[in-house]
Amino acid sequence: MRKFFAVVKREYIQRVRTKFFVVATILGPVMMAAFTIVPAFMFGLRSGGPTRLAIVDQTGKMYERVAKEITSDKRSSRTESATDAEAQPPAGPNNSREQINRAGKMTKPTFVVEQARLDNRSFDEVKKNLEARVERRELEGYVVLPPNLLKDGQPEFRARNTADLFTKENIQSAVSRAVRGQRLVEAGIDEKVVAKASESVDLKTVEAGGKESKGEASFFFVFGIGLLIYMSVLLYGQFVLGAVIEEKETRIAEILFSSMRSFPLMMGKLVGVSLVALTQLGIWAMAFLAFSLWAAGGSSITLPHIPLMLFVYFVAYFLMGYFIYATVYAVVGSMVTTTQEGGQLALPVVLMLVAGFYLSFNIIRSPSSPLAFWASMFPFFAPITMLVRIVTETPPLWQILLSLGIGVATVVGLMWVASRIYRVGMLMTGKKATIPEVWRWVREA
Amino acid sequence: MEETKPTLVLERVTKRFGGFTAVSDLSLQVRPGRVFGLIGPNGAGKTTTIRMIVNITAPDSGRIELFGQQMNTALQDRIGYLPEERGLYKKMRVGEQLRFFAELKDLRGAEADERIDAWLKKLELSAWKDKRTKELSKGMQQKVQFITAVIHDPDLVILDDPFSGLDPVNVDLMKQTILDQKAAGKTIILSTHQMEIAEKLCDDVCMINRAHKVLDGRLREIRRSFSRNAVALQFAGGDGLLNDSTLIANVRQHDEEFEVLMAPGASPQALLKRLVDAGAVVTKFELVEPTLHDIFIEKVREAE
Repeated sequence: MRKFFAVVKREYIQRVRTKFFVVATILGPVMMAAFTIVPAFMFGLRSGGPTRLAIVDQTGKMYERVAKEITSDKRSSRTESATDAEAQPPAGPNNSREQINRAGKMTKPTFVVEQARLDNRSFDEVKKNLEARVERRELEGYVVLPPNLLKDGQPEFRARNTADLFTKENIQSAVSRAVRGQRLVEAGIDEKVVAKASESVDLKTVEAGGKESKGEASFFFVFGIGLLIYMSVLLYGQFVLGAVIEEKETRIAEILFSSMRSFPLMMGKLVGVSLVALTQLGIWAMAFLAFSLWAAGGSSITLPHIPLMLFVYFVAYFLMGYFIYATVYAVVGSMVTTTQEGGQLALPVVLMLVAGFYLSFNIIRSPSSPLAFWASMFPFFAPITMLVRIVTETPPLWQILLSLGIGVATVVGLMWVASRIYRVGMLMTGKKATIPEVWRWVREA
Repeated sequence: MEETKPTLVLERVTKRFGGFTAVSDLSLQVRPGRVFGLIGPNGAGKTTTIRMIVNITAPDSGRIELFGQQMNTALQDRIGYLPEERGLYKKMRVGEQLRFFAELKDLRGAEADERIDAWLKKLELSAWKDKRTKELSKGMQQKVQFITAVIHDPDLVILDDPFSGLDPVNVDLMKQTILDQKAAGKTIILSTHQMEIAEKLCDDVCMINRAHKVLDGRLREIRRSFSRNAVALQFAGGDGLLNDSTLIANVRQHDEEFEVLMAPGASPQALLKRLVDAGAVVTKFELVEPTLHDIFIEKVREAE
């Protein structure tokens, strides 16, 4: 055990002390910010002025209503806010409802609308005129409201850039709302009633049994944790791989094996490098927290309320996920002689984490199905699938403990396999192993 | 003869890798406080044998007993091992490196620091303690590696080719260090294919070739038993004397010197008398014991 700690200590100190670690720790958050804030900012950035539209109203009575709907910023129906939610950039975990709306506004195109009157001209003439103006870039496009719009007529949107989905969505929902409103008024319903009737309902979700719902924030956290596992495995898996291969390249393995067994050696490496990873993540988390506190002015922080137990699960499954996939890198490292080869071999396994993401969409809908159960017991999926189950319909404690137990057993088992492969591979001196050979080594070693 | 128990016993040890037999039916005994030479050409099975002794790999069959116990992990701390393929952490500082290897042998604290300093001083490396290992010359790295093998004061020191890559000054330093270890009562196993070095340092030898033991025993006895009645000779005058086939079986000439193999039954004394009688001026007359190299070649030929 003391030798195990000697290895852990060496791996940890040798890595944490490097310039690379210091630089990466400082630059990490900067890069992270660059990759999340900049795209979000660019997404929200509108190039050019407002979208200029002309409306050809063949019904003779719809222009006012449609123009008002298009230019209005007011969210009057559920449909529209759903559209906005799709259009906004991916939101971070602690996005409050208000932030979502703000983000929605950022991307909402602003429109300038004018009416193209027929004024005794033929429709074709007006159309030709508008086409010419679009051509001259005086207009971005125009909307044609056919005479039978209120019955079954199809409005038309003609534009230079028909690929601009956001504008199209906006116009479509605006025209829909206008038509709906007009139809109701024509059916003899008072305008005020119409406005009132169109107000959307905000669905309040309450878990059966009366408990307050853990809500969306928890979901954001599950996916956040999944993403965190994925990122840290990609980041630090290479280090685990490098650590395992190091003694092969430098031929130190022989001395190590003359002093200790290969299992504590491999475990020591895994734990040492992982502590480096956790140190770095910890520093980043503190920096993030400090920044959030500062940004919130030290007063009211909008961190979502998360029950303590849930937080414990998050940490437990993050660690499990990280270790399981880091172990894969250790196994691969025991088989290969260079880090490049290793990275190629490990990546397909890491993609299993992505499979866990896909499964979770099904599990959200039926968190107690047999599929959900087995997916949350399978150690490569469990870090995501079990967390999804926990935030949706918390499974019995024994299931959670069982899946964690399977996870720990998997890590230990894989490390045991890795240590055998490593030892025999070392004796074969630098030869790259084939899978059948590796299998034989595991049994023979 | 000696009543002391052997430090190490190998009994009918065999190790195979796939279809290849690396060590076959090898038995040997290493006695305490002596320098034991494991000798053979490259690929003979020396390194595999050593790996089994230091418990890196287990024999397929046979028994290994160290310090009177069946081989086990705890015994590893009582062995110091300098492998043939040297390896140090290139980026670690010399002091830290030694400290780490000491900890792997369960030696830590102030005692470890003291010993590290003492050894660095002894091998003239004190000035390099805080340098990164990659900044050291190859010879210096070699010496650092040697320290890792002896830092924990092991009872059995196994050195696989300890002189390769050393300059003559350091070869002498290393030889002296090995003899110091022996004087301190340590048992030393020296594996090498350089027979001249083994001849000078070893008390006992075991020769292996192609996985099989060719010969083992005390070096002095082996050489005596292989004595072929040879004489190294330098003289002037007495022409034609060396052509007498009743007296001399074979003559080889290197420059001024003749290497004379006496005919069966003929005595070197008779040769000397004949030379003096013939009026030759003898400047060198030396009974030659066969070298380990000669013995090895002869034994291998016999076996084939």
